[in-house]
Amino acid sequence: MAEVVLKNLTKRWGGFVGVDNQSLHIADKEFLVLLGPSGCGKTTTMRMIAGLEEPSSGEIWIGERMVNDDLPKDRDVAMVFQNYGLYPHMSVFDNIAYPLKVRGTPKADIAPRVRAAAEKVELTHLLDRRPKALSGGQRQRVALARAIVRTPQVFLMDEPLSNLDAKLRVSMRAELKHLSRELQITTIYVTHDQIEAMTLADRVAVMNHGVIQQLGTPDEIYNDPANLFVAGFIGSPAMNLIDGSIREGHFVTTGGTRLTAVRAADRARVVLGVRADDLRVSEPGEGDIDVPIYAFENTGEATLLTVQWGQQRVIARGDRHLRKEQNDIVGLSLNPDHLYLFDPDTGRRLTA
Amino acid sequence: MTGKQKKAFWNAVQTGLIVMATLIMLVPIAWIFMAAFKSHVDVYQLKLFFRPTLENFALVFREPYNLGEKLWNSTLVALATVVIAIPIATMAAYSFSRFRLRGETVMLVTILATQFVPAVVIILPFFVMFRDVGLLDTRLGLILVNLAIVMPFAIWMIKGFIDGIPLDTEEAAMVDGSSRLQVIRNIVLPMAAPGLLTAGIFCFILAWNEFLFALILTSKDAVTLPIGLALFKAEEGDLWNLLSAAGIIIMLPMFILALMIRKFFVQGMTMGAVR
Amino acid sequence: MRDNTLKYLLVLPAVLLVFATAIWPLVESLRLSFTVGRLNRPPSLQQYIGFENYTWAFLEEPAFWNSVWVTLAYTAVTVSLTTVLALGLALLLAPGGRLRSGVQTLLILPFAMSPALIGVSFRFMFNPEFGLFDAFFGFFMPVFAGVSWLADPVLAFAVCVMADIWGWIPFLTLVLIGGLSSIPRETIEAAQVDGAGGWRLFRDVTLPQLAPVLAVVVILKSIFSLKTFDQVFMLTNGGPGTATQTLSHYIYFNGLKYGQIGYAASVAWLMVIPMIFLTYAYAKFVFRKD
Ligand SMILES: Nc1ncnc2c1ncn2[C@@H]1O[C@H](COP(=O)(O)OP(=O)(O)OP(=O)(O)O)[C@@H](O)[C@H]1O
Ligand SMILES: [Mg+2]
Repeated sequence: MAEVVLKNLTKRWGGFVGVDNQSLHIADKEFLVLLGPSGCGKTTTMRMIAGLEEPSSGEIWIGERMVNDDLPKDRDVAMVFQNYGLYPHMSVFDNIAYPLKVRGTPKADIAPRVRAAAEKVELTHLLDRRPKALSGGQRQRVALARAIVRTPQVFLMDEPLSNLDAKLRVSMRAELKHLSRELQITTIYVTHDQIEAMTLADRVAVMNHGVIQQLGTPDEIYNDPANLFVAGFIGSPAMNLIDGSIREGHFVTTGGTRLTAVRAADRARVVLGVRADDLRVSEPGEGDIDVPIYAFENTGEATLLTVQWGQQRVIARGDRHLRKEQNDIVGLSLNPDHLYLFDPDTGRRLTA
Repeated sequence: MTGKQKKAFWNAVQTGLIVMATLIMLVPIAWIFMAAFKSHVDVYQLKLFFRPTLENFALVFREPYNLGEKLWNSTLVALATVVIAIPIATMAAYSFSRFRLRGETVMLVTILATQFVPAVVIILPFFVMFRDVGLLDTRLGLILVNLAIVMPFAIWMIKGFIDGIPLDTEEAAMVDGSSRLQVIRNIVLPMAAPGLLTAGIFCFILAWNEFLFALILTSKDAVTLPIGLALFKAEEGDLWNLLSAAGIIIMLPMFILALMIRKFFVQGMTMGAVR
Repeated sequence: MRDNTLKYLLVLPAVLLVFATAIWPLVESLRLSFTVGRLNRPPSLQQYIGFENYTWAFLEEPAFWNSVWVTLAYTAVTVSLTTVLALGLALLLAPGGRLRSGVQTLLILPFAMSPALIGVSFRFMFNPEFGLFDAFFGFFMPVFAGVSWLADPVLAFAVCVMADIWGWIPFLTLVLIGGLSSIPRETIEAAQVDGAGGWRLFRDVTLPQLAPVLAVVVILKSIFSLKTFDQVFMLTNGGPGTATQTLSHYIYFNGLKYGQIGYAASVAWLMVIPMIFLTYAYAKFVFRKD
């Protein structure tokens, strides 16, 4: 158990920068999720921590040690790979036992520990099988058991759930959460699924183009986005981003509609961010504005209304019993407590 | 013709062509098989039915042909070639597959290219050198030059197999605590074992069938089976029944081996240019 | 040990071995080609005479030119025949099914057969008195009845070609079946839906996608055709006269039978040059995916 510290970590391939000058302090026992779109450098960051990729510059500390020059085997980490990386020529038992064997654990200790690990992930009945004869979820659990059979300083997990179907993913997610609370080991978890990030993390690091955009609790990331990228990336549906300006203290859309709900200092160009949940749908005339419906969707647990607001389309979430038709006119009102203003040029959040 | 008739007709034509091609392919082989069991007299007539005899197989192992010696030489030479080539090729193939080396492409292309150098070019200096150091007509000399034929195939073929082993698995083993050499021993070798066996068999066939080197370098003690074919000549001409028996001894084991690794034969011969 | 050292140590033995068994003899052959190089007079292996061996081959040796033409003709005929026939057979066998996959399995046999043995068996098959193929040809085309195939320059050449393509078609068919099976089914199905069939489907969709594999087949077969030795040696030994004497055979005879190592080496090097181009083309295809 240890804290992990990255200091100005950079990975370059020729002229291409995969991870850019990244600094990160992960506390002991913390569950940190690296979240970001495909290709943003999540895996690369994790592989550098594991020692599978050599940093171009910067330092990696695990506990009290700088591990830059340590081989993977000497870093005392355990990793769950996206494709699991199971040993196809070994039984499930031998797969789980391998980290112990290769580190010279006494024979007598191995079997009970393998069994204990297998029990935690409910694999005891499959120990004799080969990985080939397992389902995706079972393979995933073998990979997990292989990681928890030792007590490493750090767990590294690279999209461990991404190969599972939607239903299994939800149940494995809960299992992972349970396990991580029980084991209390520093964990770095890579995903591009924001629900995974939100549900599992103590803190989330949102990455883009090799740079951490925001580091914070799931709450902070969702309710207090630091910039346009985070605002647009987190949340489903994504936050509505509306171009306009601030005139005489109020937001005015490029179409000329004035919203008195938004108060700020005057500015020529801003982007207003508002989540679908923070838009209230009402009958025409009862809201801040009246807009026509472009598309009406019913997801079962709620309804989604895409409305045409001037040049832009905006999504609002309605009551699950709401029924409307395309081209109907509805009223929309904005929740003044949850509106965000961004600088369109730097992307940075503007504080009022 | 209706669509259905047309289809049936077309199918029949195709089946006919396939059967014909198969016959052309099999008849020469079958003919040798038959001749090997024919008596001396039957062979000189175009006979389809005859009284089979095992006499030819007994004769070829006796004086003056002594095919047993050649069989032993062939086996030993091919086996030794494989036993030397495969471990060395495996080491190189692993490195080429998993690391970026300086001059890697140059090395790989050169290795590929040596396969296309005509054997007559290679053999001229070897003949001179072997004559000087007394390696002519020895199995050791033959093994040495056979390596020239076998190595490029072995390296490229095994590299292909190792390329197919997911990197994840190896990295998992490294994080789990293995050193690079432990990874190779515990993970790569067991997983590549079928591939290594395939490459081994493939190289064995190449070395076994090798003709030109053996023709030039051997004369008495180290003669291999294909060269032994030249023995079965009498004053009145070729002794076809004995030639055929010897032919079976040469080709039958290779047929069995080749069928075992059929799936990978194409890959091996084309060095991965066709997957 | 750090990977950076290890990775070079791992390739070292192989590189040394390839160097000793292939690169060294190649270079040494080049050296020999500039010497008098008589086997029975060892000091002459160090007597340098510049390009004299080369000019001798070009200017004074009709036999050299004969073997060049024989080799070129042999290569042209065998490459085109094998490619076309293998392509036809591959198209015939590719769809799979019990009969076709069974035949596919058998295709491996001729290639596992030693080329020397193929030479012997074709000599057997074309024996004018009791050869099966001789009898067959004689039956359908009486002109050939009882002909002494291997005594006639043209027919002997034809028999060599037949033995060669008999040995190579099956293997190249397997290669092409592999190429055909890697063409995405959807492209063919899409074209069928779009209305292409038969010949058009083959020409517009299959052939373009098969082209890289076909190129590999042609290059590979060219290389091996240019090198041909084993079958010809066993079948005709270059005869009658020098009608089927390929370059490899010519080099073998001059170098080892007549002991003119230096001269043989110069001809051998003349043969290496086209190989370099073919190998270059081949390497381009091997590395195309990386
Ligand atoms: N060996 C390499 N050589 C060159 N570029 C690389 C290499 N490995 C990764 N990259 C590049 O670095 C960037 C970051 O890759 P990385 O694998 O870290 O992405 P990721 O965030 O894990 O994405 P994903 O969610 O798709 O797994 C990508 O643009 C990738 O193309
Ligand atoms: Mg990744």
